[in-house]
Amino acid sequence: MTSHVVARDEPGLRVLLMGNEAIARGAIEGGAKVAASYPGTPASEIMETLSAAARDLGFYAEWSVNEKVAFEVAAGAALSNVRSFCSMKNAGLNWCMDMLTTIVYGGVRAGMVIVVADDPGARTSSNEQDQRFAASWAEIPCLEPSDQQEAKDMVRDAFEISERTELPVIVRSVARISHSLGDVTLGKISPPSKKVVFDKHWKLPFRWNVYGPPSTHSRHVWLHTRLPIAKRLSEQSPYNVLKLRNGAEMGIIASGVGAAYVTEALRWLGLENKVNFLKIGVSHPLPERKVAKLLQRSNRILVVEDGDPFVENQVRIIAKDVAPKLKIQGKARANTLLEPYGELDADMVTLAVAKFADTKWKTVATSRKKLKDDASSLVIPRSSAFCAGCPHIGTYWALRMALHRVGGKVPVIHGDMGCYEMAGYGVFAKSLEPSYSSESVKYPVDSPYEMLDSLYIMGAGIGLAQGTYHAGYTDGKVIAVAGDSTFFHACLPGLVNAVYNKAKLTFVIMDNHWTAMTGHQPHPGTGVTALGEPTKEGNIEDICKSFGVEYVRVVDAYNPREVQNTLVEALQQPSVSVVISRGECAQIWQRTKKKQGTPIVPLKVDLEKCNGCKLCVQMGCPAITFEPRTNKAGIDSLLCTACGLCAAVCPFRAFYQPEGEPRPQ
Amino acid sequence: MREFNLVIAGVGGQGSILSSHIVGDAAIRDGYRVRVAETYGAAMRGGAVMGQIRIGTDVQEPLIPEDSANALVALEPLEGLRRGVRYINPSGLIILNTHRLSPIDVNLGRASYPSLDKIAQQLKQLCKEVTTIDGTAIAEKAGSSRTLNVVMIGALRGSGVLPISEQSLRAAIRERVPPGTQDTNLKAFELGIEAMSKPIVNTRSR
Repeated sequence: MTSHVVARDEPGLRVLLMGNEAIARGAIEGGAKVAASYPGTPASEIMETLSAAARDLGFYAEWSVNEKVAFEVAAGAALSNVRSFCSMKNAGLNWCMDMLTTIVYGGVRAGMVIVVADDPGARTSSNEQDQRFAASWAEIPCLEPSDQQEAKDMVRDAFEISERTELPVIVRSVARISHSLGDVTLGKISPPSKKVVFDKHWKLPFRWNVYGPPSTHSRHVWLHTRLPIAKRLSEQSPYNVLKLRNGAEMGIIASGVGAAYVTEALRWLGLENKVNFLKIGVSHPLPERKVAKLLQRSNRILVVEDGDPFVENQVRIIAKDVAPKLKIQGKARANTLLEPYGELDADMVTLAVAKFADTKWKTVATSRKKLKDDASSLVIPRSSAFCAGCPHIGTYWALRMALHRVGGKVPVIHGDMGCYEMAGYGVFAKSLEPSYSSESVKYPVDSPYEMLDSLYIMGAGIGLAQGTYHAGYTDGKVIAVAGDSTFFHACLPGLVNAVYNKAKLTFVIMDNHWTAMTGHQPHPGTGVTALGEPTKEGNIEDICKSFGVEYVRVVDAYNPREVQNTLVEALQQPSVSVVISRGECAQIWQRTKKKQGTPIVPLKVDLEKCNGCKLCVQMGCPAITFEPRTNKAGIDSLLCTACGLCAAVCPFRAFYQPEGEPRPQ
Repeated sequence: MREFNLVIAGVGGQGSILSSHIVGDAAIRDGYRVRVAETYGAAMRGGAVMGQIRIGTDVQEPLIPEDSANALVALEPLEGLRRGVRYINPSGLIILNTHRLSPIDVNLGRASYPSLDKIAQQLKQLCKEVTTIDGTAIAEKAGSSRTLNVVMIGALRGSGVLPISEQSLRAAIRERVPPGTQDTNLKAFELGIEAMSKPIVNTRSR
């Protein structure tokens, strides 16, 4: 088997790497010996890459049950004098805040690097939060790469910074770095060389947060002795580059990917030699002297960064002392040139720089704009959808039918994070009206994509459902749904609480055997580790029973009738009921069939039998098409996985398999 | 060549992202600096997906400015329209695969899919050349409908506008497609080149 390119010990080799691959390579070049993560877009490929290279290079990598545990695994290694690494998406770091804000009081012994991938624009996240604030909150250094080469180099160098400051270091990526590719020149791989030791009294007094001197407060004092070191490193950092131009009056400060946009914008606008430019790579703490020098040499300042005005606000504080009257523009305060939400792009930054510099920038001509508007009017939305043959399609269909029978007037379904969350995305082309009703309202649903009533964060559904129940909701049944990976990640305390506090609700666990949405990573229920080794397969039903749930049933997601009947029973239980609807992710299933050489024969529609009732279309499978002119359903044979769900729900038995039996389980 | 910008548009699962990696990889083999940006949503399959590739001597950031794509390759016509409106340069070339993938919005009767002629006609107003090919049929001829993405790269190369050598493209295809599918994909590449190797106007200059 050929190893991943990031495992190649060929310094100087120039390759195309995704930001996340470059980050993984940085951890390898930096000599990380322990790496842990939980999948989350846009960070998942970091650990995928590391786990692909771990065996060859002899370091440890794991998919942890959640980010908090991943963080602690990495921290435990760093206390044991081993360089360690953990990575996660923006929201993942929220799970680690308790440990992050406490471990800094005792520091780390070997380098510990945390990569957090933010998601400005929130294409694949529940919010746009800017995790650079976590670095300032925990009072630790934060680095921000502007491209893939820097992503690799910064992660490598962050280990050194971590050891010099004795603190964990955050490298903050964004989706545009993590999920973009660039040419990267590989560096030397430094083998993990340090001896694994544990020493409780190492450099007393402030270690590992146990006994010894006086108080937690004094450990906070110790943390503040780290700040001058971090500031010095930031001042000297090759990632903070100040370019002063002769005679230039304007100054621009840009951090992370913002610096890449500004560099090209200045070239397009012909302003390269007319603007003083400070590129920020260490955004916490800022290189104050470099910033001050730029402020003093400029008559106005523009700050460009992806996310919140994190750098800008620090610059404003520095300006108070060195140039209090200087006009600073960016995302904060009035006269903003950029918005403090959404994602930066080339057009936005170029326009902001042009306005800032009072320079003309080409705009789209009115005649062309008219043509564009005409073309745009033809564009229709493409809603997010389940994959053809997804087991969740069957489960949601059954849930809809069961609620129709016994759900009450307005059942409430609290959702969770995973592929099944698409049941809360809606149909993009459908327009909705706001409601001002003082009663509970049931809305017509003609697809699975409109079924969820709330959708927040990992593990929230099971907790919210209890709140709805204990609030005294009686207009309908209360349901929570979650997937298998989410169950292990975040639902365990919530479910224990539901039993303990006697909530009456139905918890539907949609078990497709993988952390599917982020690219099929294994989890504690999958039976395999990140390194591909077989391991114990956590049993969800046994766990639920051991918590005291009296009604626990396992059903086949591809048998909608069985799922429906079981749900009807579950919804009428006097206490917490759990229904585990099981069906392996259709993509994994297809891969397995392909490997086995078993052909997948798409279903067909008997047009004589189809009466155009559209029930199959409402099931939400993207392989089912509908021809309005003939009023008949159809099957896209390129997408169909022959799961047989459409055949199971069609009242007229119009779907059939041309050869053999429906999908063998 | 200072800069060549390419957009590859498609639906999740069609391989738009992989094909943008192949083009980026090949450009590096030819000695260029490269940036590739991927845009997609949360769904594993079925959503609107776009790869942006910037090739040149000094490209820094990954996103193509409005009206600055020298070429747009669409694996699906509606997605070609969606991205073409924003990115295609007036001197640019668009290659549209004709096979439609209906959004669920259409299946549910909430939207209607514009006709292929209308899509091509609207895009033609915005750029120099719009060509349609039945890439899906060509991919099936090569051995698998899954090679559509590579057929379309072949078509782009065949059109003469992509400033990357066939040799580097072949090497990148060999390196990046799933193991065991190299031969089918290389065949798809050749058939794609063939499909477009009629002489067309050079649209390389910006």
